[in-house]
Amino acid sequence: MILRFTKLLLFCFAFTLFAKHSPAQVRLPDGYYWKVLPNGLQVVVIENSKVPLATIEIAVKNGAYTEGPEFSGLSHLFEHMFFKANKDYPDQASFLKRTQELGAIWNGTTDVERVNYFFTFDRDSLKAGLKFMNAAIRFPIYREEDMKKERPVVDGEFQRGESDPYFQLWYAIQQKLWGDLVTRKVAIGIHEVINTATPEKMMVIKNKYYFPNNSLLTICGDVKHDEAFAMAEKIFGDWANSGFDPIQKYPIPPFKPLDKSIYFVKETSIAQTPYVQFSWQGPSYLTDSASTVAADVFSTIVGLNSSKLQQALVDKGLASTVSLGYTTCKYVGPIDLFVVPNPNKLQECYNELLKQVGMFADSNYFTDEQLKNAKAILLRNDIYNKEKPSTLPSQMSYMWCSTSLNYYTDNTDNYQKVTRADIQKYLNTYVIGKAMVAGMVIKPELSKQVNAASFFAAK
Amino acid sequence: MKKYLFILAITALPVGLVCAQSPKDAYETIVDGVKVIVQPSGNGIVEIQAIIKGGVQNYPADKMGIESLAMTALSECGTMNHDKNSFKDQLDKVNASVYGYSNKNFSVLRMNCIKNDFDTVWPLFTEALTQPKFDAKEFARIQQDAINALKESESQPDAAIDKYANKIAFAGRSYAEDPAGTVDIIQKLTPEQTAAYYKGILTRSRLLIVVVADMDRPALEGKLKTLLDGIKKGYPFEFKKSFFRSYQNTFSSEPRDLATNYVEGVTSGPEAGSPDYDAFQVAMRIFANRHFLEVRTNNGLSYAPQAWFNAGATSVAKFSVSTTQPDKYIAVFDQLVDKVKTEGFKPEEVANMKTTYLTGFYYKNETNFAQASSIASNEVIYGDWKHSLQLVEDVKKLTTDDVSNAFRKYIGNIIWVYQGDTKKVNPLLYTNGTLHKADNPVSN
Repeated sequence: MILRFTKLLLFCFAFTLFAKHSPAQVRLPDGYYWKVLPNGLQVVVIENSKVPLATIEIAVKNGAYTEGPEFSGLSHLFEHMFFKANKDYPDQASFLKRTQELGAIWNGTTDVERVNYFFTFDRDSLKAGLKFMNAAIRFPIYREEDMKKERPVVDGEFQRGESDPYFQLWYAIQQKLWGDLVTRKVAIGIHEVINTATPEKMMVIKNKYYFPNNSLLTICGDVKHDEAFAMAEKIFGDWANSGFDPIQKYPIPPFKPLDKSIYFVKETSIAQTPYVQFSWQGPSYLTDSASTVAADVFSTIVGLNSSKLQQALVDKGLASTVSLGYTTCKYVGPIDLFVVPNPNKLQECYNELLKQVGMFADSNYFTDEQLKNAKAILLRNDIYNKEKPSTLPSQMSYMWCSTSLNYYTDNTDNYQKVTRADIQKYLNTYVIGKAMVAGMVIKPELSKQVNAASFFAAK
Repeated sequence: MKKYLFILAITALPVGLVCAQSPKDAYETIVDGVKVIVQPSGNGIVEIQAIIKGGVQNYPADKMGIESLAMTALSECGTMNHDKNSFKDQLDKVNASVYGYSNKNFSVLRMNCIKNDFDTVWPLFTEALTQPKFDAKEFARIQQDAINALKESESQPDAAIDKYANKIAFAGRSYAEDPAGTVDIIQKLTPEQTAAYYKGILTRSRLLIVVVADMDRPALEGKLKTLLDGIKKGYPFEFKKSFFRSYQNTFSSEPRDLATNYVEGVTSGPEAGSPDYDAFQVAMRIFANRHFLEVRTNNGLSYAPQAWFNAGATSVAKFSVSTTQPDKYIAVFDQLVDKVKTEGFKPEEVANMKTTYLTGFYYKNETNFAQASSIASNEVIYGDWKHSLQLVEDVKKLTTDDVSNAFRKYIGNIIWVYQGDTKKVNPLLYTNGTLHKADNPVSN
């Protein structure tokens, strides 16, 4: 009786929590339908009959940003354990067999601000697929022997990364860019934490984050939204609300700004060709969503063949590629300028790169036509991005976790509204004159030959 | 830059490239003696691929890399009407792609754009194909980039081990040639040499055109005719296929300072177009599932155990893992192979794989690019583009015995290669072969 009462209370609480988000306030593209269940689970149905398939995805607001050092890498291990065993499929052999019976194509990913799980199968298997997802997300079984086998698998994924010179550069940059809070930005984690993880730690993650009110269920494909909503409600409707907002209850600590630029040269025998990256702490959706939009427009401008950046580096043969990118995050996204330099002109490339970054402040760094072309590219990207129906849930849920559904829906239109002033504000706030981490990964012989440390250093 | 997103599994999709549209919608026609295959797309995106058949069959070993560099030059070294910058700037304005690439079996010049931008992009595509300039300054730039790319691929362990496996397994055959070439060869190539080479392979006899788009047929054929009229007929070209089988297990290794070790094995596979082809594809997909279950789930030996059928002019089966315990891996692998050879696959495995093929049929080709690539590879390698559309139906007809027997027939001696800590591996365990219990045992 008490249990039933508690459950009812939680449902009422959930309804209150989410009553603020009435359907009228959520904007979605044509063919997208949104509903929030009484337990707080948001459900989006995307009707797309291009092929007779259905893709289902659950995204959870979990990932590196929720991890202190003692849990570093465990959102990712948790994601792996999702596919191991649950009340309906008590071992991974039976779990995998079921995916094969469904003819499912499936995977899961762990990022900084999202963990997601997705399955694609024949449209007629939608109900069976939702039941399968329900068992895995709500009723996992964590056994010590299963974890013992999965820990080296996850650590093996880490080791594969460490065997790649770009990963080594990226990983070293993260340590310096985020300082004490690096575990909040690196989903792969820490070897020791992964290798000593216990079922109890899995339960801690589950009991903090794996609730309907912290999750988004997306059903996409050759489906009817009313039928899909009904199935979702029937299958997931009794998933109990947590009664709290996990991200409010376990808040993300603020990232400390870099106080000075850091330069480093990482030598490794596996770097057959050098890579260079400059990284800054960029905007947060929570505090400066306008700059998150301006960032993408500026990155597109400097990706144009005609841009000063491409002309100075790629056209002149100083680099094979140069790209600037901002990763949209709710809590401080990184801005990364990545270069594959011509190893024969390494110092020249580096000097030009610094010169170009210095020129970002010039009001004539890009032309009106380049701004127009960048917007035209972003407009067409929207068409390309929607070409593959099975990727739509993942594209949308990324934004749901790090921004909002409205941000996702309005993004392309908002790109069109970006002005020079918006871009300048973004650059002035996050890049121009701001501290950065500059890293180079290079083979020891080449490093010695060019004396990389002599020029790749703070002036 | 790359962004790190950690993914549960590196999954190989069901093999056999297939198309989402129904076969009745697709058609082929001949324009100026060139086969043109058109697949309506049902969307507003245009994908056109001009395929030059041959791949490594087109050049000698001491010129490998020349075709790849030529294909890159088409869009990177200007045309008779546009210098490189104006060419690329026009593409940027409409967010369209025109670029070339090469593999062991053929080369492609690809265009992809929004349908409304077709009239802007088509002239650039045709110029790149038929009037490339091979400007010397730009050529020097892409030459350096190609060298960089070669070194980058050597730094990527998955690419490096596959390249090493090909080099060892196909030694003495043209299939050992790396389309990307070598640093020594690339840096000696001149723009004149490369232009002359390209002129030699750009013949109607080697060309195939694949279109995945909703386009008016007469208008499309008119444009293609204008394009192809300017290309010489050339000598008849025959795409040669060869069968691969190793007569002993071998193990080759290279020390590398990596955080884990990379292992890859190469063995036989049926020739594309032969009767066992579909059954073997299914067999390798089921084996990949078993390989994943035993190597990763049950033994925790690797994050990325993979097994796949690599179809081409020379078709082979491949297996790979990254592992810190290579000796344990080979023991598990041998038992897996032996079990299939003695017991065969289970009927439900074959039935389930048929269902997975159906999902893969639609899933893999949600994009125009994937559909065009599927049609191109089926036409060049298999010899019939319609195979890409009929595969699901053909797979439905297979019996469990067909699939088990195909596995038994082709999985034989294996060429193993290894990169990593060579002290951690016992080569003998790799050359010993499986347990000699099968009806077609693997032996040294």
